[in-house]
Amino acid sequence: MSKKIAVVGDPSFTTGFRLAGVDEFREVREGDKPSELDDAVEDVLENTDVGIVVMHQSDLSHLSRGVREDVETSVEPTVVTLGGEGEGQLREKIKQAIGIDLME
Amino acid sequence: MVAEDVKPTRKDLMEIKERIELSEQGHETLEKKRDGLIMEFMEILEEAQDVRESMEDDYTEAQKRINMARALDGDVAVRGAASARAETPSIELQSKNIMGVVVPQIEATKVRKDVGERGYSLLDTSARIDEAAESYEELLDTIILAAEIETAMKKMLEEIEKTKRRVNALEFKLIPELEEARDFIELRLEEMEREEIFRLKKIKNKKEEEAKEEARRRREELEAAAADD
Repeated sequence: MSKKIAVVGDPSFTTGFRLAGVDEFREVREGDKPSELDDAVEDVLENTDVGIVVMHQSDLSHLSRGVREDVETSVEPTVVTLGGEGEGQLREKIKQAIGIDLME
Repeated sequence: MVAEDVKPTRKDLMEIKERIELSEQGHETLEKKRDGLIMEFMEILEEAQDVRESMEDDYTEAQKRINMARALDGDVAVRGAASARAETPSIELQSKNIMGVVVPQIEATKVRKDVGERGYSLLDTSARIDEAAESYEELLDTIILAAEIETAMKKMLEEIEKTKRRVNALEFKLIPELEEARDFIELRLEEMEREEIFRLKKIKNKKEEEAKEEARRRREELEAAAADD
């Protein structure tokens, strides 16, 4: 089945992806992030047409706990974060599952 | 299973012994599965770290290029070109099986395109915008690869955790309980056997005493009869 790539973030983050042809966006301006990012992210996660969600790592801190957990565990769609410590969440999961920190 | 639920019968003992054997077999198999999964995971992990690194590089590069385009051509031109993009990249999801874990295999279509295919007018835009678009296309490619690997990792971690939990449940809960029940039955059966032997001895003693008594009475009778004669 054919799926889309979606990008969530502020307009300056999404423009580049627009240039590459992505057409599924949730644009949230920097000032609105605390209030609107949750809904935007939930919205793309529920969209079955979307296979991959691209976000900026720093935006994760604006999410509420529940949504953040969804982002970290969601497999379909998968959320890929750019910039900064992207391995943080995965690293925690590895520690939890295997018992040792493999990413040193 | 608490000792009280166990009936100390040979039938139950046999059943429990069978269950212990089965659980131990299962435990061994699950342990192997867990180790195999971890090995597979290590391989993917290395790949994932490489991909993540190159993704970060691509991202920095793409950002640099688009900032350049924005600075020199203006935000409006960049946005204009961006909204003129005609075709959208799409991905195909297929699945692959690693030791019972279904992981996705993502195939991307229409990500990279020639300059002419991008949909915006070449005359109105500069080479910088082309470069930015190209580097973002490259970034998308890496993102798709990273998504594939990271999803696989998440799924495998889940499976590893599940398997580990099962191994531990067998090792620390089910098998010890079954062994406890087995020991209880064995002890109880031995105890019952001893009681039985004791009982038999008692009965034997009693019978012997009765026989002696009988013999004595008979002798007395005989003696009495002899005296009468």
